[in-house]
Amino acid sequence: MTNKARAGRIAAHGVMIALSFLAIFPVYWMIQTSFRAENEIFSGGWFPTAPTLKNYADVLAAMPMLRILGNTAVMAGATTLAQVATGLLAAWALVRWRFPGGALARSLIALSWLVPFQVVMIPNYVLASKLGLLDTVAGLVIPNAAAAFSVLVLYNAMRGFPREVVEAARMDGAGDFRILAEVVLPNLRAPLASVSILCFISAWNEYFWPLLLIRRMENSVVQIGLQFFMTQEGNDWGPLMAAATLASLPILALYLVLQRQVVDSFMKSGIR
Amino acid sequence: MASIDITNVHKLYGRTPAVRGLDLSVEDGSFLVILGPSGCGKSTLLRMIAGLEDITAGEIAIDGRVVNDVEPGRRGCAMVFQNYALYPHMTVAENIGYALKVAGVAKAERRERIGRVAAMLGLGDLLDRKPSQLSGGQRQRVAMGRAMVRQPGIFLFDEPLSNLDAKLRIQMRLEIKRLHRELKTTSVFVTHDQVEAMTLADTLVVMNQGVIEQVGTPAEVFRRPKSRFVANFLGSPPMNFLPAGIDRRGRAVLAGGRAPWPELTFDLPAGSAIEIGLRPGDLGLVAGRETDGAIPFQPDILEDLGNELHWHGTVEGNAVAVALPAATAIPSGPVCLKAPPSAVHAFLGDGRRVEPEAAPIPTPKPSGEAPWRATSLSYT
Repeated sequence: MTNKARAGRIAAHGVMIALSFLAIFPVYWMIQTSFRAENEIFSGGWFPTAPTLKNYADVLAAMPMLRILGNTAVMAGATTLAQVATGLLAAWALVRWRFPGGALARSLIALSWLVPFQVVMIPNYVLASKLGLLDTVAGLVIPNAAAAFSVLVLYNAMRGFPREVVEAARMDGAGDFRILAEVVLPNLRAPLASVSILCFISAWNEYFWPLLLIRRMENSVVQIGLQFFMTQEGNDWGPLMAAATLASLPILALYLVLQRQVVDSFMKSGIR
Repeated sequence: MASIDITNVHKLYGRTPAVRGLDLSVEDGSFLVILGPSGCGKSTLLRMIAGLEDITAGEIAIDGRVVNDVEPGRRGCAMVFQNYALYPHMTVAENIGYALKVAGVAKAERRERIGRVAAMLGLGDLLDRKPSQLSGGQRQRVAMGRAMVRQPGIFLFDEPLSNLDAKLRIQMRLEIKRLHRELKTTSVFVTHDQVEAMTLADTLVVMNQGVIEQVGTPAEVFRRPKSRFVANFLGSPPMNFLPAGIDRRGRAVLAGGRAPWPELTFDLPAGSAIEIGLRPGDLGLVAGRETDGAIPFQPDILEDLGNELHWHGTVEGNAVAVALPAATAIPSGPVCLKAPPSAVHAFLGDGRRVEPEAAPIPTPKPSGEAPWRATSLSYT
């Protein structure tokens, strides 16, 4: 390795280390603050002098945090399943058949991606209230059961799937559902993983729609729970950081377990 | 086993015709090869038989039953694709057995039938491998096994050997031939490789621009091509073409005023323009500048193929190739080419073949009696 190349590598690593510090620091600050006593919140230093679990106890006392985390997990899981299922079926239809209006349907789906939530929130709210879905987890899931993002990612992935293999399955006598389930699906692991992970995270982070829909704390989701500690009298930083730590733990765990697949899937599906 | 009847079939892609009014019958148990350049509609025709492509007009019947609207899986055809199209996530055994699984065949029977096919193709040790762990030839064999396991009435081959290297191609060609001899399953084989076509076919179909140029046994198609296209497409190096005119006696006169075949006369008006076709292998050398009944040849490049010599040059400005036995002594001085009248092909301006009057039927002349019973090829 020449000196020039070595210098380049060192510089590149320096930049990456700085960037990762930038990303990690807020998380670190959130976690260490959650262990500080109330009188120590605004004092400096890298570590709490007398670490305490009081903030966590306060959070659990103030709200049914475990129930809320459970709600959020159910909501995010169901949303992910629904988006993947609808995305698969829609993408398969668009790839597999040429039908009049097919290209139009695809463009409309792509366009719906660009429609901001604020445009549809009032109609969605009215619909949800007429269907009796206010203050329910189902009301959180159903409007997000189909998403342009998952349709388009899976559409592109399926289009890259060799046509002859699908034709071979047709020659073998398989019907469309069987081809999708037994031939195409097992070969779409990477795009399915990336769609699922992105969908789960975005559902987990959902704030505005639950804020509109949910009335009672026991039906709430975790992002709403956080808001409980931001009051007009000022933010209750200790419990807020403890709740935020609890809220981010599942996602953190997901990343730790699936880090390889997450990175792989992002590289393979071309979303970076 | 099954027969196929294709009646006046058309296929349009948008407004572009791919197949234009095609009639063809494939007899039960025969091996039919469709040969043609790329874009001639041969693959489209095969895919229409398979049911993977809609038929714009006309009828395709299998065993007398019109199958225009029958799903691919219910036509009794199995197909071998050019790039094998194996299921990448399934093992060899699962690949071969998938059709049986779809058909609801019980597991034990499935395993037995997969085993039998795998043994036939020499895949017994590979059943647990994934396609990505196989070589090209092994993948090809798995694709064959997948077609065979269903015991279909018809095998459809879509250029199955074109992704293999030359050695493997010859080996698989023989294997396909052998399998056909054993199974006697009606087969339709699409290729652009003339050697594959000549060696595999019982019946050879040459297609061009969506229509059939000629149907016949390989020997017929090679020795009596019905059109200039067929004549030019089959044979390597391809047939030589020399422009000629018809004189008042009906003889073909080449450029330079030579009439090398006075015994051949054509029933065409004097002054008609035709083309004389001569296969490189039918031409012989005569030393000398000008010989009666021979054509002066201006040689250029001599290629030694090991088993054969190819001498490329010109006759009156037209490119001509001569194929000679490897042991031929190449004359150093001026040289002429000679071809027997039986080797002369003639084509009209529109490319159709024209026969001379009282055409001499070419027959192979064995010198002396062969020590074995000779089966002579049909020339008519």
